[in-house]
Amino acid sequence: MIGTRSLLLLLLLAVAPHGLVGQQPELVEQMRTRGLPESLVAEVAQVAADATAQGLPADPLVEKAIEGWAKRVPADRIMGAIQQFRIRLQEARQALTGTGHAEPLGPVVAAAAEAMARGLGQEQVGAVVDAAPTPGAAGRGLKVAAALAAQGIGTDQAVGIVVRAMRRGQADTDLLDLPSVANAMRAQGMAPGQIGQRLMQGAGSAGGPGVGPGQGGRPHGVPPGGPPDLPPGQTKKQP
Amino acid sequence: MSTRRRFSSGAHRYLDGGPHGDLPAEERRDADRLLDGLRAYGNGIEAPGPALTDAVMAVVRQRPARRQTAGWRWLFRPQPIRLRPVWVPLAAAAAVATWLVARPPAPDVAPTAARVDTVFVRFQLVAPNAQTVAVAGSFSDWRADAFTMARENGGVWSITLPLPVGEHQYQFVIDGERWVPDPHSHDQIDDGFGGTNSVLVVGPRGVVQS
Amino acid sequence: MELSDGAVVRRVLDGDVELFGVLVERYREKFGRYAISLVGDGDAAADAMQDAFIRAYDSLDRCREPDRFGSWFFRILTNQCHDTRDRLRAHADLSAIDAASREQTDADVERGELSAIITEALDELTAEQREAFVMKHVDGRSYDEMAELTGTGVDALKMRVHRARDSLRAKLEERL
Repeated sequence: MIGTRSLLLLLLLAVAPHGLVGQQPELVEQMRTRGLPESLVAEVAQVAADATAQGLPADPLVEKAIEGWAKRVPADRIMGAIQQFRIRLQEARQALTGTGHAEPLGPVVAAAAEAMARGLGQEQVGAVVDAAPTPGAAGRGLKVAAALAAQGIGTDQAVGIVVRAMRRGQADTDLLDLPSVANAMRAQGMAPGQIGQRLMQGAGSAGGPGVGPGQGGRPHGVPPGGPPDLPPGQTKKQP
Repeated sequence: MSTRRRFSSGAHRYLDGGPHGDLPAEERRDADRLLDGLRAYGNGIEAPGPALTDAVMAVVRQRPARRQTAGWRWLFRPQPIRLRPVWVPLAAAAAVATWLVARPPAPDVAPTAARVDTVFVRFQLVAPNAQTVAVAGSFSDWRADAFTMARENGGVWSITLPLPVGEHQYQFVIDGERWVPDPHSHDQIDDGFGGTNSVLVVGPRGVVQS
Repeated sequence: MELSDGAVVRRVLDGDVELFGVLVERYREKFGRYAISLVGDGDAAADAMQDAFIRAYDSLDRCREPDRFGSWFFRILTNQCHDTRDRLRAHADLSAIDAASREQTDADVERGELSAIITEALDELTAEQREAFVMKHVDGRSYDEMAELTGTGVDALKMRVHRARDSLRAKLEERL
C-alpha cells in the first residue's frame, strides 16, 4: 500500500534528475539491488539527503535500511529506525563539535554514535578523538573502547586503555587486536578488572629489555616497560 | 569550555608567525602577551649539557657486547599470526603472552595509509534441528544466503570467512528465516528493529580464542 | 663528513659502541628543551632523557628504520617524559620543584612570574596538546616537521596547538 507521501516521493525520484538521485546515486542503486521497494528507497533517500545536508554520514543510514529489509522488517518500522538513527548521529556530531572538533568526518561521527549507544559518554568520546593521531585512528579507537566496555571493562578504563595505546604509537590496525585479546583472557578465567589492568600495562610495553636472547639489563632506576613500538623479528635490515 | 573565548583563525595565523593583519586590538594584545610569556619561558630553558652524553656513554660501555642478530633470532621469537586458514587454537595464556610480548611489526612512524589486512574468522553455531544455517552481517550486506554454513557432527554448523580487520556486526539465519545473534559472543548491540546483532572487532592477529 | 643517523645506527649494531655518542649528542640538543618542557623540571628531564637514550641503545636492533632513528627515539623520549612527569606529580607539588630548580636573580623575578604561569598552564593541557604546543612554541617547528616526527596528521596537530593556545590565553587572563 503506497501512501500519498510515498507516491509524491516516487514521482520526485522518477522526474528529478538532480536532487535525491543526483546527490547519492550509488546509495539509491545499492538499495534497489538489494530488493528494497521503490517507495522505501525514496523515503530512505530523503532521510539520507537530509542527513548529508546536516553534515552527517549517509552510508550508515542506508546500510541500516538494507539490514532491515534483509531481516524482513516492515517498511514503516525500518523508517522509524532510520529516523532514530539520524537523531543519534546528530547527537554524536554535536558531542564532537562540543569537544572542539569543528568538522568531524562522517566515519568518526558514525563511530561516535555507535560508541555512545554502547555506553560511552560525550567526554569519553572526546578523550578518544583527542588522543587519536588521525581520523581513521579515532574511528578505530572508538570501536575498540566500546568493544572493551562490552567485555565488562568499565568505560573509563576502556577509554584509558585505548588512549594509552594510541599515545604509545599503537594507533593503527594493531589497536583492533585488543578486544580479541580481552576475550581470550576472559576465556582463561580472568575477571574484567584484572583484564583491564593487564591491558593497561600491556598496552604500553610490548616487550622490554631482556626479552628473548636480547642484550642489555635494566639500568638502576629505570621503570619497567620497554620502548613502545618495538617490532621483534621481521627485521629487514642486516646489521 | 564554551564560555572561553577562542582565538580566531587570523590570530592563529599570527601566532604561527604570520602578519597581524586586521586583528582586533584585544585579541592582538592577548596574542602578544602569550608570545611574550613564551619567550620568557623559553629563555629559561636550556638543553641538558654534554654531561648527559657522558653519563649515557658510561652506562652503554658497560653493556655486554652485542651479538650478531642476523639469521637465527627468528627461531626464538613468537611469530605474528596472519592469514592462517583456521583460527589458531592457541591456549589463551600463550596467546596473551604472545600478544603482550611480541607484537606484530608496528607501521612506520610517518603517517602513511593504513595497511589493509584480511584475517580468517571462523563462525560456529550449535543447531542440531536446523536444515540450513547461514551467517549474515555487515560484511555481506546482510544477505541471508551469501554464506551458508556446513554442518558437522553433533549439529555444529560452521564456516570460515576472510574478513577485513575492523568491526563487523552479524547474526545467524536459521532455515532462511529465523535471525538469531551469536550465543557465544559477549558483545551484542541493539539492531534498532527490536533484535540484537553480535559485534566482532578483529585485528591483524585474528580471533584469539581458547 | 657527517654520518647520517642510519649509518651511525648500523655501525653501532656492528659493534662500534662509541659511535652511539654521536646520536646522543645530536638528539640531546635537538630534543633537550622539549624534554624539559614536557617534564616541567630540568633535573628530572635530564634523567628522563638519559633513561630514554639507554633504552634506545638496548633496543637498537629493534629500530626498524635506522634512517628514521630520530622519530623512533622521539617516541621513546616522549613516553619517558610523560612517565617521569606523572611520577613527579604523584609525589610532589610541581610548581615548588620548578621554582627551586631555577636560579632567581632580581631581574629574573618578573620574567619568572610569566614563566611560572606558563608552566602552570602547560600543566593543565592534555599530554597531546602539551607535546604539540612545545614542539611549536618552544622548538619552533613547522607542522610538517611535527607530523614527520610524531606520525600524527597536520590537522590533528593544528587542533591541539590551537586548543593549547586558547587554554593558555585563558590562564594568562586569569592571572594577570
